[in-house]
Formats: sequence, C-alpha cells, structure tokens
Amino acid sequence: MKHHVNKRKLRASIGLHTLLTILSILWMLPVFWLLISSFRKEPGAYTPYLWPKGFTLDNYVRLFTDTRLFNFPRWFMNTLFVAACSCLITTILTLMVAYVYSRLRFKSRQAIMNISLVLGMFPGFMSMIAIYHFMKAIGLDQTLLALILVYSGGAALNYYIAKGFFDTIPKSLDEAATLDGASKHTIFWKIILPNSKPIVVNTAINAFIAPWVDFIFVSVIMKDNYNNYTVAKGLYTMVDKANIYQYYTVFCAGSVVVAIPIVLLFIRLQKYYVAGVTGGAMKG
Amino acid sequence: MKKFVSLFLALALCCSVLAAMAEDITLKVWDGQDDQELLQELCEAFAAAHPENNYTFQYGVVGTADASARYLEDPAAAADVFVYPDDQLIRLAQADALYEVTRNHDAIVAANSQGSVNAATYQGTLLGYPMTADNGYFLFYDKSVLTEKDVETLDGILAAAEKAGKQFNFDVANGWYLASFFLGNGGIITLDENGNQICDFNNEKGVEAAKAVAAMCAHPAFLPGDQNILTGTIGDSVCAGVCGTWVADAIKERLGENYAAAKLPTFTVNGEQVQMGSFGGCKILGVNTQSAYPVEAMNLAEFLTSEESQLRRFAVRGYGPSNLNAAKSEAIASDPALSALAAQSDYAVTQLIIGDFWTPATAFGNALIADPAADVQPLLDQWVAQTIGQ
Repeated sequence: MKHHVNKRKLRASIGLHTLLTILSILWMLPVFWLLISSFRKEPGAYTPYLWPKGFTLDNYVRLFTDTRLFNFPRWFMNTLFVAACSCLITTILTLMVAYVYSRLRFKSRQAIMNISLVLGMFPGFMSMIAIYHFMKAIGLDQTLLALILVYSGGAALNYYIAKGFFDTIPKSLDEAATLDGASKHTIFWKIILPNSKPIVVNTAINAFIAPWVDFIFVSVIMKDNYNNYTVAKGLYTMVDKANIYQYYTVFCAGSVVVAIPIVLLFIRLQKYYVAGVTGGAMKG
Repeated sequence: MKKFVSLFLALALCCSVLAAMAEDITLKVWDGQDDQELLQELCEAFAAAHPENNYTFQYGVVGTADASARYLEDPAAAADVFVYPDDQLIRLAQADALYEVTRNHDAIVAANSQGSVNAATYQGTLLGYPMTADNGYFLFYDKSVLTEKDVETLDGILAAAEKAGKQFNFDVANGWYLASFFLGNGGIITLDENGNQICDFNNEKGVEAAKAVAAMCAHPAFLPGDQNILTGTIGDSVCAGVCGTWVADAIKERLGENYAAAKLPTFTVNGEQVQMGSFGGCKILGVNTQSAYPVEAMNLAEFLTSEESQLRRFAVRGYGPSNLNAAKSEAIASDPALSALAAQSDYAVTQLIIGDFWTPATAFGNALIADPAADVQPLLDQWVAQTIGQ
C-alpha cells in the first residue's frame, strides 16, 4: 500500500516538474533570444534562422561609443540619476505615511486611508497631459527634475504593503520606547525601520525599477528634448522604420545593458524582497 | 552736462542701431534622429548666409511620422520649422498650425514638382515648402534570379520566383501597399470638396482587384510580412519585394551586384494586364503659426528646401528631391531606387485619407492571407464602411 502511494507521488512529481520545466523554457526563451540577438553579427530585425551566423561584441561597443545618433551613455546616466533620486524620495515618503497609518490614531485616519487607496488604483498616466501643463507652468517641462517629481509624487498612495508590515511589529516595542522617553520620530527611525529591512528593500526596489521601464511619462514630459531621454524612450527611437535595420542588434544590446543594474540589485536584495512581500501580505 | 546727455543719447542710438542690425533670433527646428547631423550643417550654412542676425538653433528630435502628434500636444512648445509628411497636412491645416507660404510663393511653386506642390496645398493655399518627393514604394529585386522582363508583370515575378525556389514579399497587411492593387484598377480614395472621405474600393473594380490580391496570396511563391522580413531575407529565400527608399541601403548591402529596382509590376484582371498604382508622398517643411519669428522661419524653411539643400540631402541621406532641377541631376538619375520611384510616380496618387482606412486594411489583408478563397465582397464593404465612417 505504502509503495503504491509513493509511486503515485513520484508520478505527480514528475508530471509537475515536466510542466514547470516547459513553462520555464517558454519563459526564458524570449530573454535568451534577446541575449543572442544582442551578440548577432548580421544586422536587421528579422532573420529567417534562429541561431546567428556570427557573433560579435560590436553591438555593445557601438552602443557606448557611437553616440552620434543615439547617445545611450547619457540616457543611461539620466535614468540612473532619476531612479536613484526617486527611489530615495519614494522610499522615505511611503514608509513615513505607512508608519503614520499604522501607529497614530486620528479622526480622519480611516477616511484618508480609503481615499488614498481608491486614488492609488487609478493609473497615473490618466493625468499625464495635466501634469505636463503643470510642469510647463512652473518651467519644469523637459527636465529630469520633472521626471523625479512624477515618479515619486504618488508614493504616499502605495502605503498599504508597508503598513501591513508595520502592523506586524508588536506595539509593545513602541510603548516601551515611549516609557523610556522616545518621541514618535525616534521610534520611527530607531525602532520601526531597523525592524523592517524587508519592506524598506521592497519599496526601494519597486521605486528604483519604475524609471527604467516607464515609457509614457518620459514621452509626454521630454517631448523633443533628446538629451534628457531615459533609456526606455531612447532605445525606442532606435527601432523606427528608417533605423531598424542598422540598429536592431544595438537595440537588443541596450535592452540587455538596461537589465543589468536591476538584476544585480534584485539578486543582492532578493531575500529581503520575498520576506517583504509575504510579510506585508499577512495582515492588511 | 549737456555734452554728457548728448553723448549718452548718441551712444544709445548707436546701440539701438547695432541691435537692429544684429537681432538675436532663436529658431527651433524638428527633424528625425538620423537627419540631425545634416540639419545642423544646413542650419549653420543658413546662419552663415544671413549674417544680419545672430541665429541660435535648437534642434528637436521629432521624426516625420510623429510630427503632427507632437505638434498638437503643445503647439507653443513645438518647433518654428518642422518636417511633416504630406498625409498629415490636412490634420495640421485644420488645427491652424501652418503659415501660408507668402514670400517667394511663385518661385517655390515653379521650382518644385507639380505633385509635391499639390501635396503641400490645402484648399488652394500653399502651406509648406516641399522638401523631398520620395515617400513612395516600388519593386526591389535580385538581378540574378529575375530578368527585366520578369519584373514587368506580377505573374512573371511569381512564376520565375517559384521556378528558382524563391519567394516574393509583399506587405499585404498594410493598407499603404495593399492600396496599389485597388488604385491600379481604377479605385478612388480621396476627399470631396467638403472634406469628407470618399472610397470606392468595394465596387466591381475593387472586387476584381481584391481577387488579384487573393490570387497572389494563394501563390506558393508569395511571402507576406513587413519590411523587416524583406530586409532579413532578400538575397536568401526572397528574390523580390515592394518597399521604399529607406530600405534601399540595407537591400543594396544584401544583394551587392545583384541589386536592382523597378516600378511596380502589372497584375492580371480578367486576363488583361493592369499597372499597379501607388501612393506617392512628400516630406514638407512647415512654419509654425505660433512662431515668434515667422519671417526668419520662412527664410530658413526656404533655404532648407532650396535646390542646393536638396542635392546635399540626396548626397548625404539618399532622399529624392522634389526640386525639379535637383531631380534632373546626374547623380539622382543614376540611382536605381530613385529612378524606379520616378518611373512609378506616373502611376502614383497623393494620399488624401482622414478616415479610419489603415486598421480595416490590415484586417482585410490578414483575412486574405489566412484564407485566399474568402468571399471578398463583405470584407471590402466592411473596410470601406469604416474608412468613410458609416
């Protein structure tokens, strides 16, 4: 009898793992294809064969040295700068708001929480034209500062995961600290934050990724200011109909390079990331 | 004291005269990314030719395809002088975006081809400076597979391609190319005097054209797909395809000595040969109505579209000129792609489309690729209904 059960378990396990293997291959294939395209020697977007006829590092070299048409190094630094700034602002804002909702009790707390939650559900790009005109009115259109403001401006609306995490930290810690004379401010920086590494990391990673993948806002705000493009908008200019043949493989190389900082950050902070998501999900 | 006052006044007068002599003028100019270098060269040449003012140029990267969209997003922030394709003229004119060409009007009309002037004219008013006349399509082919006789007819191309085990690429799922069959067989797509869309691709003639498209789709040597397929396969599995000058360099690189181009072939309707039509387009330089320096902007636009500038543009970028003298030059007459385009231009019409023509055209093309035996009449009716907005 026991033998039989084991056999069934084994079969289920084999079946599941086969399925997972197939799924993971399907998932990896586009990434793999992008990677080999970035090393492909022959130009052009389409080749009738899958495996390149020749490999070269030229695409990467061109990406960083041939800045006559496409100034990728500059776009990369722009994005890095915007990502770093907005990451810092977003993280601090989100955590402070979450702390307030989690620890302080005031009359309109529930109402404000609900309103923020609802507002946070609207996609940000709904207001992009209005934002552009606001930025223009204060003379910030087509600047990197405008992008930083846009990416970090809505941060407070995404408080709920961090709040959920803070709720799991025992209140008795706060009370003990208060008895010892700590202010709310001290409690936040000295007690809550050191106990919430996973959620800090989680918030920071999400904030850092946003500028790398956003295309809509940078298009609306930068318009024709080519020098202030971020990588997403910049790389896209490489694949319009007049340039695609010469620059497609360079575009692939650019896409791979963009992935590097995000992947590095992710690998380095992965253990916190998982803990942050699940920790926050335990209690709403 | 009086002396000082008069000295001061004299100085002030001198200053104002000097200021009037050399005004600081900033002009913003838009062109595509790959045209920036040439644009800057030509703008600097303009500044050098006009030393009476201090010109500063701001260069914006807005490709022709996006020009009207970028302009309409914020006209005040748009360029003083910008390039747009003729099919965006109506949209821009209706938004009151374009200055009428008033300076040297007759000279500009005389210097450029009739087609390009028509393309820059809306309701009898010239609204821009024709810059290129090469936004059309024609046939690229591999000389080692097809002969000049083969490329005269679509049947000839397909038969020779099949015999050689090669294919012929045509982007059926793109209304711009697909229309060539309908236009060739007498179909009409234009605007009436009230600016309403007219399209008769679903009449008897249209059905005949659609059947010719279906017959091509059913042929074993036919390969659908866009320009990326063509530039990726020509010389290998594909021996001919229809596209425009922007892929000429890529195709030349792949075919080498076997590179050749010709006007579009004829196709068979009821046993008779009918010449394929096409859309012929121009790039036009427009002057923004919101420009702070309209006169200088117009001078710049005229300079950028002069015979010399157009010849330079051909030499550097390979663009076909709209200027008649430039078009006659030897360099341009000996370019295979531009000669093919010139040969096709006799059968080309200006693209006057404001309706939703493109999306249903793609649906129509894809339907025929999926099932060449499909009943074309209902498909055509649907396409035309959407185009004229009923």
